[in-house]
Amino acid sequence: MIPEELAEMALFERETQQQYQHQINVCVASGCLSLQSDQIRESLEKEVRRRGEERWCQVRGVGCMGLCTAGPLVSVGPFTDPAAALYQEVQVSDSLDIIDSLGEGAVSRLVCPTDGPFFQRQVRVVLENSGQIDPERIEDYIAADGYEGLLKVLTEMNPSDVIEQMTRSGLRGRGGGGYPTSLKWTTVAKAVGPRKFVICNADEGDPGAFMDRSVLESDPHRVLEGMAIAAYAVGAGEGYIYVRAEYPLAIKRLRQAIHQAERLGLLGNRIFGTTFSFHVEVRLGAGAFVCGEETALIASIEGKRGTPRPRPPYPAEYGLWGYPTLINNVETFASVAPIIRNGGDWYARIGTEKSAGTKVFALAGRVTNTGIIEVPMGITLRDIIYEMGGGIPDGHAFKAVQTGGPSGGCIPEDYLDMAVDYDSLVQVGSIMGSGGMIIMDDTSSMVDVARFFIEFCMSESCGKCVPCRVGTVHIHDLLTRISEGMASMGDLSTLVELCEMVRNTSLCGLGQSAPNPVLSTLRFFRDEYLAHIRA
Amino acid sequence: MAEDITLIIDGVKLTVPEGTNVVDAARTVGIEIPVFCYHPRLRSVGMCRMCMVAVGIPRIDRDTGQCLLENNRPVISMFPRLQTACTTLVSPGMVVMTSTDEVKRAQRGILEFLLTSHPLDCPVCDKGGECPLQNLTMGWGPGTSRFEYHNKMHFEKPVPLGDLILLDRERCILCGRCVRFQDELADDPVLGFDLRGRDWHIISKSDPPFDSKFSGNTTDICPVGALTTTDFRFRSRVWELRSVPSLCIHCPVGCNVNLDMRHREVMRVMPRENLAVNDIWICDKGRFGQHFVESSERLTTPLMRRGDQLVQVSWEQAFETIAERFVAIQRKHGGTALAGIAGERLSNEDLYLFQRLFREVFGSNNLDHRIGTPGDLPDDDIGVMLGVGSGTSLVTLGKGTTVLVIGANPEEEAPVYLLHLHQMVKHGGELVVANVRPTKLDHSATLSLRYRPGTATQLVRGLLRVVLEEAGTKHLSQKTTGLAELRAALNHPMASVVSATGVSEDDIRAAAHTFLQAENAVIIYGAEAMAEGTALSQDLGSLALIAGKTGKANNGLLALLPWGNSRGVLDMGVRPDRGPGYAPLASAAKEREGAGGRKAAEGAVQRGLSAREMWNGVVEGRIRGMYLMGIDPASAYPATRTALEKVDFLVVQDMFLTPTAQMADVVLPAAAFAEREGTYTNAERRVQRVRPARPAPGDCRPDWAMVQGIAEAVLALLKGTDEEQGTAKEPRKKLKGKKREAPGGAETATESPGPSWGYLTASEVASEIAERVPGYQGIAYTRLANAASRGGWGRQPNESFYYGGTCYRNSEGVGIQYPAPAELSGAGFSLKPREVETTSASGGDTRYPFLVVTQRLLYDGDPFLRDSQLLAHVPAPYVAINPSDARSLGVQAGDRVRVASVAGVLELAARVSDEVPAGCVLIPSNLPGAPLSMVQTGLQTRVAVSKVGGRRE
Repeated sequence: MIPEELAEMALFERETQQQYQHQINVCVASGCLSLQSDQIRESLEKEVRRRGEERWCQVRGVGCMGLCTAGPLVSVGPFTDPAAALYQEVQVSDSLDIIDSLGEGAVSRLVCPTDGPFFQRQVRVVLENSGQIDPERIEDYIAADGYEGLLKVLTEMNPSDVIEQMTRSGLRGRGGGGYPTSLKWTTVAKAVGPRKFVICNADEGDPGAFMDRSVLESDPHRVLEGMAIAAYAVGAGEGYIYVRAEYPLAIKRLRQAIHQAERLGLLGNRIFGTTFSFHVEVRLGAGAFVCGEETALIASIEGKRGTPRPRPPYPAEYGLWGYPTLINNVETFASVAPIIRNGGDWYARIGTEKSAGTKVFALAGRVTNTGIIEVPMGITLRDIIYEMGGGIPDGHAFKAVQTGGPSGGCIPEDYLDMAVDYDSLVQVGSIMGSGGMIIMDDTSSMVDVARFFIEFCMSESCGKCVPCRVGTVHIHDLLTRISEGMASMGDLSTLVELCEMVRNTSLCGLGQSAPNPVLSTLRFFRDEYLAHIRA
Repeated sequence: MAEDITLIIDGVKLTVPEGTNVVDAARTVGIEIPVFCYHPRLRSVGMCRMCMVAVGIPRIDRDTGQCLLENNRPVISMFPRLQTACTTLVSPGMVVMTSTDEVKRAQRGILEFLLTSHPLDCPVCDKGGECPLQNLTMGWGPGTSRFEYHNKMHFEKPVPLGDLILLDRERCILCGRCVRFQDELADDPVLGFDLRGRDWHIISKSDPPFDSKFSGNTTDICPVGALTTTDFRFRSRVWELRSVPSLCIHCPVGCNVNLDMRHREVMRVMPRENLAVNDIWICDKGRFGQHFVESSERLTTPLMRRGDQLVQVSWEQAFETIAERFVAIQRKHGGTALAGIAGERLSNEDLYLFQRLFREVFGSNNLDHRIGTPGDLPDDDIGVMLGVGSGTSLVTLGKGTTVLVIGANPEEEAPVYLLHLHQMVKHGGELVVANVRPTKLDHSATLSLRYRPGTATQLVRGLLRVVLEEAGTKHLSQKTTGLAELRAALNHPMASVVSATGVSEDDIRAAAHTFLQAENAVIIYGAEAMAEGTALSQDLGSLALIAGKTGKANNGLLALLPWGNSRGVLDMGVRPDRGPGYAPLASAAKEREGAGGRKAAEGAVQRGLSAREMWNGVVEGRIRGMYLMGIDPASAYPATRTALEKVDFLVVQDMFLTPTAQMADVVLPAAAFAEREGTYTNAERRVQRVRPARPAPGDCRPDWAMVQGIAEAVLALLKGTDEEQGTAKEPRKKLKGKKREAPGGAETATESPGPSWGYLTASEVASEIAERVPGYQGIAYTRLANAASRGGWGRQPNESFYYGGTCYRNSEGVGIQYPAPAELSGAGFSLKPREVETTSASGGDTRYPFLVVTQRLLYDGDPFLRDSQLLAHVPAPYVAINPSDARSLGVQAGDRVRVASVAGVLELAARVSDEVPAGCVLIPSNLPGAPLSMVQTGLQTRVAVSKVGGRRE
């Protein structure tokens, strides 16, 4: 493909779509698919065909629209458009009504209001195409300015210019650590090696987190484009996407997307006729949580047992097969193309000074609106949970919100007005993490919550280093004793010592952060522990 | 060269080479950082978390690039977390603290965690007493535990990892040293981890389980009692053991070992560090294959034939009878009617006196160390002349070195070299492996050449051609002759080399190029190469000479001879054509004259009979008496039985009543290597010493003493009874210039005995060897005890004992590598190529369509494997056939097949393997009950193969 063809293709595709008077979008991401949204799509298509209205009415599968709790979702027109109709909890039998209603006002019994804060307070950068385009068609992505960022960097920018824009954007790693993305890119760009690699970490393993899955299922090309831009910036020629095997749909769409992009020459050799070549392969994880740790992930791609190794050397210098390797998370790569298209400064204006941009969260647990949201950094927890999330259902009271998965912590009501950014969350003993947000109400026992997470870490510990292998077992035993009312005060101080020991001496992030849920619940819900001991 | 880096550990300023880790750096100033998973020979993995220390580095001013100073001292910024010292490399100005409260808490915590998973069954654990976990717990651990005892892990114990190694999963602390040893050093990745978290454990991944010839080493480096050998388990407490320095005499590597003795029993064999020989490793044959020493079948007294029976006799009777019979033969038929063969696992002292007896007392050069099979390999002389220079250490080779391995399978012939070669490649060296079939070494090879059987010489000539083209003779520093003849022999188009050998021209050029360009280069050749005859070794020598890779350390030839003292046998001149030190017979005789002998008899300067000629000689009546020392031709070459039965008088000296000994007239019981003093010379010409670890059973004597007993009895008989006493008691003071009376009236013109006999100790024999055998000058026992061992890769000697598990320091001597003649000025060499004696795989007799490729196996019919568990690893006799040949023969794996040559027939089990080239069959040379010598017709044998019970169409 030559540069001009991309614009032509986008134009052609837009014109084609404008020919349709009505566009019916059916969510075909995992959440809605599990409620047979594919059958809804089929029956809609069938009905349109039966009526011979294919020329002016298009039925498409699109990615996630966010409000998973209300699925299956179907929209007529782009769901972010206030004029469009969004239907919730659609059933196959509703197809007739939906088509009947086209051009005559919405089917009122199905309407899902989109004027509430859940939709209106979102700032969609990573999710700009989610639920709007057909993730299985590269033409849809191109029509939505797809691969324009890649074209721009290849034809107008030096690798250092790209990194400069990333620096200006202030983007920090969305995998949870929050390491400035441009610094990582700079290190890899400076590292010397006959080969370099770019790896996308799509081994999303935190319980209750499904942001990456949603992005991959809804807009896979965005991730590929981000990787290609990164590869150009750091001088890499090969890339891997490491996806957990539990995401079959994401894997299928990624492979399809790679295939399509290669066919159009947007990946592969001499992209846009330049000297830049970039090849991407999908690698599957076999379900080990620890493989989300970058060195374990690299070992796994290399075909070895997925266990972490000490850093330094960091993958940026000594990564896949010993070559300099850039590893970023799905959401990080997904943020790249818009930053390049709109400039780093544009991105930096979103969010807070130290945590720029937007963050995708997966709302789960005891909250009315479960689903995926993208919000600017700096929004308060209260806004997320009560405004956007719709508060706690069934008349229960809020107790805590858990962020950062098994590596994070539980935040009590006192801190709900805290702004959500990397540094504030660390201050209250939690972390941003990859974006899982589990809301707990007054029916949850915090000792059990802590025990759940440490049990998760215990069973996911690879066993390589002693503190994580043995320490998590002892922490779990102590928590069990506490929750069974068998513990003494002495056990409580042992628990703290153990947690500190495991945190300070473990080899990788899994062990180092495994005690966080225990420590944060001990900090904010000590009473519950004491109640168990005194009982 | 790595730069030196200065840092501060616990307030001590020290300077170490770049690339050193903090554990090793601290050790240089006597600061101990405890470790479990770290081992100096393995990559650091930082998984046990025991070595955590506080680390800081100087803060750098971004603008100036200089260290920030405060009160003239660099500002140190400490890392927020403790760091593992084993994975932290030193950097300039680094500050390390190894005993802060935080560090101590971490160390106590790790040990507490480890012990909560550990059964604490020290009283019944074999490691107890030499256990790093015990030691570190005493040094750094908490006195008590906060956890419940009942909360320990429980597993079935022990489970076998293989038939030699057991795993106790309860004791295992999962440091992974064993897995890493197998992956990184042995290149046998047969161990691995299973499951995860607290269920994580070690498993064997191979079938048969733990399929490695180095498995025993994992028990040494195991820092707890998790891995134990079935050989030593529950046999002894380690504090009851007394370690006696010794050698393994099985193969030409000459690994240094310690025999761990309890009273007179060898409880276990352990490696002893020698950075020039075996580093800290030994193979399983060296570790588990020494039980023959304590066999209940050992001979204990001299035996003499009375009719059909061998009956016990006294030493005096035995010596007298031998002397009478030998002297009678000598008087009647001449000294050349006597012949002797000595084995290659005897010490230099035995072999030296053996040839003295024949040359000086009997006046006969009928000496050999082979048994006379048609497949006997020619003596390797070029390999000593151009041998690897003194100071060579395969352990330390790396970048800049090329090793060419041709026609060899080190895994079977010299296993520990495999470890060294593998490491060499890891350290950046180039390894060119040329062979007719794949071997394990191909894994590590940087270039593999697969040539057609019988074409190795042509391949080497191809290499020579390229080297001459590229460099001419500019590297040729030695005095040489025969260059013109060599050039003439190379005068074929390259295409003919390519078509004959089947190796591409690119590969030949690449191999020659890397050999030539290397700073150092070694050529290793093994049994399969030597089977191509001396033309090949001559050309290998020429290759090394022309490329300038001779006469200095880490350069030259290295022949993989079959046994522990195969080099010593040749050095001592136990062969018909050369005297000690490879001296021509005439000059050897002259030297003896100079040393006090009388004018040499004719028999002493004439080439003697080789073993093969001896057997014919017996049949033809030319040989009447034989003396076999430590060798058993009747089993290895059954065709010799006729001669052994016919010979008038047969003396066999051995540890066991072998089939050959059963045919003897007198049998002398020999002491084993563990029961005596002696020196052995390894493939690299390193002379090393064994020491007595236990008393010999019964009346056994060291071989040299028995040779001396015979010599003295013979001399006494020759001199007459009146002088007998004097000979025996005369102290040996001077060797040279001490004229002795010639034995009166001996018509057989016995040469005068030269230096007197009457050695009191092996060390006296060794002193004489040092004076009289070229090359051995100055190699006295006192010097052999010098343990100055230098480490490679900037390592400390003995550094591996830093919680490295159970290995032994070498304080008893690393041996002396005597210089190869190529290192001496004035030596001259011939480049003249020799006639190629071999037949190629193609062409030939249609009745015998297959060429035999002989394979040496480590675990074979070796009688020294008796009583060892390794016997279970000795395969039943087999022949391996290429799949396409097998198909056309209608043979399937497991079928019985008849392998027939002009010489004889063997019935073997068939294996089908694509590792065997088509048109060839692969037969191990020495499997029990099927000596290959039965069918051999020469160095190269052609055979017919047919299925037993089914006729070929």
